[in-house]
Amino acid sequence: MTHTQNKSSALAQGLIVFIFLAVLTALEFGIAILLNSIVLLILVALVKAGLVAYYYMHIYKLNQEDHGEGHDSYAYKTGTNRLGLWLFLLSDSFVFGGLLVSRFNLLGMTRPHLNQLLGLAVTVVLLVSSFFMNRAETSIAHGDKKGFLNGTLVTIILGLLFVIGVVGLEWQLAKIEEVIASKDVVGGIFYMMTGMHAFHVLTGVILLFTVWNKGRKGLYTAEKHWGVEAATVYWHFVDVVWIFFYPALYLIGAAIQLAA
Amino acid sequence: MRHYVIAGILVIVAAVLTYLGLEALNLLPVAASAQAASIDWLWNWEVMTISFLFALIVVPLVYSLVVFRRRKGDTTDAEHIEGNTKLEITWTILPLFIVIAFAYMGAYSLAETRRVDPQAMVVNVTASQWAWSFEYPDYGIVSKELYLPVDKQVVLKMQSKDVIHSFWVPEFRVKQDIVPGRVTELRITPTRSGVYKVRCAELCGTSHYAMEELVIAAPDVNFMAWVAEQQGVAAAAQTPESKGELLVKTNCLSCHTIDGSKLIGPTWFGLFGSQVSLSDGSTVIADEAYLAESILNPSAKIVAGFETQIMPAFTIFTEEELANIIAYLKTLK
Amino acid sequence: MKKMKPIVRGLLFLLVGAFVGYGVGLGLDVLVGGRVNFTASIAGYFSLLIGVALFFFGLVGYRTITRGVTWQIFGTLGGALFVTGIRAIMGLKTFVPPFLFTEPAWVFGGLVGVICFILGHGVADDWIRMARGVDVPEHREDAPGWEKYYSPSLDHKVIGIQYTVIALILLVVGGTFALIFRTELASSGLQFLTTEFKLFNQNGLQFYNTLMSLHGMIMIVSILLGIAGLMNYLVPLLIGAHDMAFPRLNAFSFWIAVPAAVLLLSSLILGGFDTGWTGYPPLSAKAPLGIQMFFLGVFVAGWSSILGALNLLATVLRMRAKGMTAFRLPIFVWASIATSIIAMTATQLIGLSFQMVMFQRLFGMGFFDPAKGGSPVLFQHLFWFYSHPAVYVFILPGLGVVSELLPVFVRKPLFGYKWIAMSSLAIALVGFLVWAHHMFTSGMNEYLRVPFMYSTLLVAIPTGVKFFSWVATLWKGKITTPMPSAFLFVVGAIVVFLMGGLTGPPNATVSTDLHLHDTYWIVGHFHDTLFGGFVFPFFAALYYWFPKATGRRMNETLGKWHFWLMTPAFFTLSLGMMRIGLLGMRRRIADYDPLQGFDATHLVLTIAAFAIALSVLIFIINLVTSLKRGEPAEGNLWNSRSPEWQVASPMPAHNYDTPFEVVGEPYDYGLPGSKYVEFAKK
Repeated sequence: MTHTQNKSSALAQGLIVFIFLAVLTALEFGIAILLNSIVLLILVALVKAGLVAYYYMHIYKLNQEDHGEGHDSYAYKTGTNRLGLWLFLLSDSFVFGGLLVSRFNLLGMTRPHLNQLLGLAVTVVLLVSSFFMNRAETSIAHGDKKGFLNGTLVTIILGLLFVIGVVGLEWQLAKIEEVIASKDVVGGIFYMMTGMHAFHVLTGVILLFTVWNKGRKGLYTAEKHWGVEAATVYWHFVDVVWIFFYPALYLIGAAIQLAA
Repeated sequence: MRHYVIAGILVIVAAVLTYLGLEALNLLPVAASAQAASIDWLWNWEVMTISFLFALIVVPLVYSLVVFRRRKGDTTDAEHIEGNTKLEITWTILPLFIVIAFAYMGAYSLAETRRVDPQAMVVNVTASQWAWSFEYPDYGIVSKELYLPVDKQVVLKMQSKDVIHSFWVPEFRVKQDIVPGRVTELRITPTRSGVYKVRCAELCGTSHYAMEELVIAAPDVNFMAWVAEQQGVAAAAQTPESKGELLVKTNCLSCHTIDGSKLIGPTWFGLFGSQVSLSDGSTVIADEAYLAESILNPSAKIVAGFETQIMPAFTIFTEEELANIIAYLKTLK
Repeated sequence: MKKMKPIVRGLLFLLVGAFVGYGVGLGLDVLVGGRVNFTASIAGYFSLLIGVALFFFGLVGYRTITRGVTWQIFGTLGGALFVTGIRAIMGLKTFVPPFLFTEPAWVFGGLVGVICFILGHGVADDWIRMARGVDVPEHREDAPGWEKYYSPSLDHKVIGIQYTVIALILLVVGGTFALIFRTELASSGLQFLTTEFKLFNQNGLQFYNTLMSLHGMIMIVSILLGIAGLMNYLVPLLIGAHDMAFPRLNAFSFWIAVPAAVLLLSSLILGGFDTGWTGYPPLSAKAPLGIQMFFLGVFVAGWSSILGALNLLATVLRMRAKGMTAFRLPIFVWASIATSIIAMTATQLIGLSFQMVMFQRLFGMGFFDPAKGGSPVLFQHLFWFYSHPAVYVFILPGLGVVSELLPVFVRKPLFGYKWIAMSSLAIALVGFLVWAHHMFTSGMNEYLRVPFMYSTLLVAIPTGVKFFSWVATLWKGKITTPMPSAFLFVVGAIVVFLMGGLTGPPNATVSTDLHLHDTYWIVGHFHDTLFGGFVFPFFAALYYWFPKATGRRMNETLGKWHFWLMTPAFFTLSLGMMRIGLLGMRRRIADYDPLQGFDATHLVLTIAAFAIALSVLIFIINLVTSLKRGEPAEGNLWNSRSPEWQVASPMPAHNYDTPFEVVGEPYDYGLPGSKYVEFAKK
């Protein structure tokens, strides 16, 4: 992909990717209801994750040539920072991988009985937040401070909305459905997975707020905004985790009807 | 060239001496089960290979340390040998063959230990902190000890009441964890009469070290006599006291004594009716209610001096069994 | 007071603090428990913490590490009180004997304590400034003298030494625990760790289990910190970098290990635990409070491991000198890469598995509780998915040290360098596929056993490549005599690790493992692999690079005493363990049946353990006295081709004032006129 797009084509690309993600999410939901095919659901999740990783997280930047720049140049150091961040994400994904393994080991092809509309809603909120964060990052990459601040602020709000949706709403609703943490492994897994993810969303919000605040002070330019890139990539990572957790908790397997 | 020859000869000599030395040590306990046969066979191959490989590395190493030393006054470096691709490939491929051979032998040996005899006698094993209990459903007896007929396969169906335990008799070789929430199986065919011990082989808490019990292997005729005897004892236990005695013998004696001697928990000799000092300073009379509570909810009243011993709650007894136990305890004076 | 030597002042303050803390703790215990218990956990806990805080205060005054520990204490108490307050509002129990606070309060307090340590110590200050948008200079000059070692220095050499020091301290602590229970084991029958024994709310049997469990985990943490010390100190030097890629992360990775170690040690005092370092539920779900401190301590220590490994990988990928292509990397760097790949990823799984047990205890989430649909075997899968690759983390650096040092002492190229480099990667990768060989008897799915046997046996192949290559390097070499201590330990490492490696395959073949699992054979096996893969190479590295770090040599006579005492003692220990293990001696038991005939061997094992301890004491005396009185070490002491030996000792502050370029192979000894590195003209 070209790294030297102009701003409007970059923003347009972000929108197109989002539309793809939205369509795939709708497809995912449809597959779950009509076909109940775990293979297809995994495939869709992988495609969604790939789109986010490539277009939003621009993983290809890891392969960028540092044209003869000295090890002390800003460009080289940013490249090193970028590598460090991706290594961190690789490490963190092992936690979520372990949780997924535990979910399938303990629950097999069953899943907790959850509110599907709410699940879809919070998923949409998170995807939309990634869309806005992509816009924000694209803005600052082209020197647009205002666009950056607005996009980041919307992302923060949507992130908080996600946490409210999950912890505030879903957790309460789940209790009514007898999905209780201390009752059995269904509850245990549900709260552990959503809890660990929500924790990462919250830390993501804190990082976003930090860069929003620094952006307000005018500390970022088109050439130097590594902090923004870092917070953005982390934010998208949290979205990618949910891309896998959402079907794992809401879509795959037969819902367990729990007796009252 | 001569270095290779000398070292080569020394390797063979060392390998043989190592193997013979290890064999002479009688490394394993006597083999007392059919399952032990393939294990000991594989072990023997492994000891041979270990002896050879040990010699193969250590001999040239020591040889080099002795022979390839810098001569006085020589300040030059050694010969510039970077590697030898043919050699590298050889000592990657050859071990690969050995590895695959052992894996194959291992799979065969494992299959041998898992041979199923459809006529195997079932013994239900219950492991708990920190005692063993063996139930023979075919004969209707429960025993503290495991008595087995020689040359007949027994299938142990094992359950745990609390944490992970593991069944192991070294002479039988095979070992199997006992996992709460499921039944794990172990098949053993004793081949040698004798008195052995099963000792828990998975850390299960404070008295894991003491969780052991007798295992007796004897000819079938002796086994049947023992069965008859146990059935007689169970039948003879008509009174609540004798029924209680049986229950106590299989469940409690890893921590409590009946003769006043010291063990993990308080002794029961003279307990009933006595004054008991509790850890919070108060005293209580050891009446029937106290005894029952101490079994069902031990943490409610902890005897002074035993604060660090946490007795697990024994909720497995029926009301009648509980009454029988208490009846028996009352006789201990 | 001011005129006293700091260490004396520190020890004096330690005594005062321990005394005062004991009184405070005892008083609190009486208040809550209603009776006097002179060996109360709380008394011990306050005694330890206040003693340690005052020790540092006496040593260095109220700054950096003292602040860190003090803030940790207040943070722990504050966090615990916070949870206690919430519980009071909810109508739940607040202050309970025997540990004063409830378990949730202790866990939250412990976590807050760790965060407060970091904040109080100051190692995160730069990051906080960066977050607020304040300008932070890239480099920071270190405090002069000893102060830099307890401050958040950004210099990888200082951090490497900090890691090494704490690793040696933990080695001594973990070893002392072993000496205590080895004394009990010396003869059958319980001698002093009996049911009458009472300390920190544990009787002798419980205390035995705690000591044994902590011996394992403290040694593991000691090894992780020791390899971090080696990698942090050496890798930038070996690749020609000024420092690691992320110096602040490096400092954080070290300092987070300190409160982690405090948490781990507090488990001894807060009731102990009886599960072994492996912490299997359901036993760990029922264990005393100490298990939570254990879980939390390991969790936090894991961050150190993960972040340190991340830093190492980024450093090697981004900060190499010109011309240092993949197969011109020093072999120790290859070993570090393989190690870090594992440490950076797999470690998350021990964190997750421990977290799940912690949550099972705190919130009743029955992951491993069969009554709630949970599976104890799942824990084992998650746990061993880290803990097996972890053992390769423990040994790969040490094996890298062996490969690095052999050519120098033998004056001959490392035989098959590329193959050795690749073998480290192969071990790391295959190492991810073998974990269930720890679970052959666990009751896991039957069909898993044979595949894991195959994969486990496969690890023997790259390991064999190393052994054959080492022998081929030594063969036809020119070994200097008298052999320096560093070289002795290299040779010892090879032989001991060989024993460890050869005793592996019987564990790999499932049927034989059914007999061997959970016996002293296994204990002998892993002591062999750990001594051969870490302890011996670690000492070799210290004797070898001590002059580079300090400009002085360690005493060779004491070094020989160290080696010739440790090595036979260790052979005796590990062979003796394997012998009784085969005959039926189980692991993790406080006492054994005299009828098994193991008494004589156990006595010998105990004597051997004390001999090993004595040899380590000799080493420490050597280390400490050589710092001031060691023979000055000028120039290229070992006549090594490696870049760090081409500059002065001690190493200059920024490593290489003029950069070097790699112009040849690292181990071309014996090739006339060949050079590995060439320094730029000034």
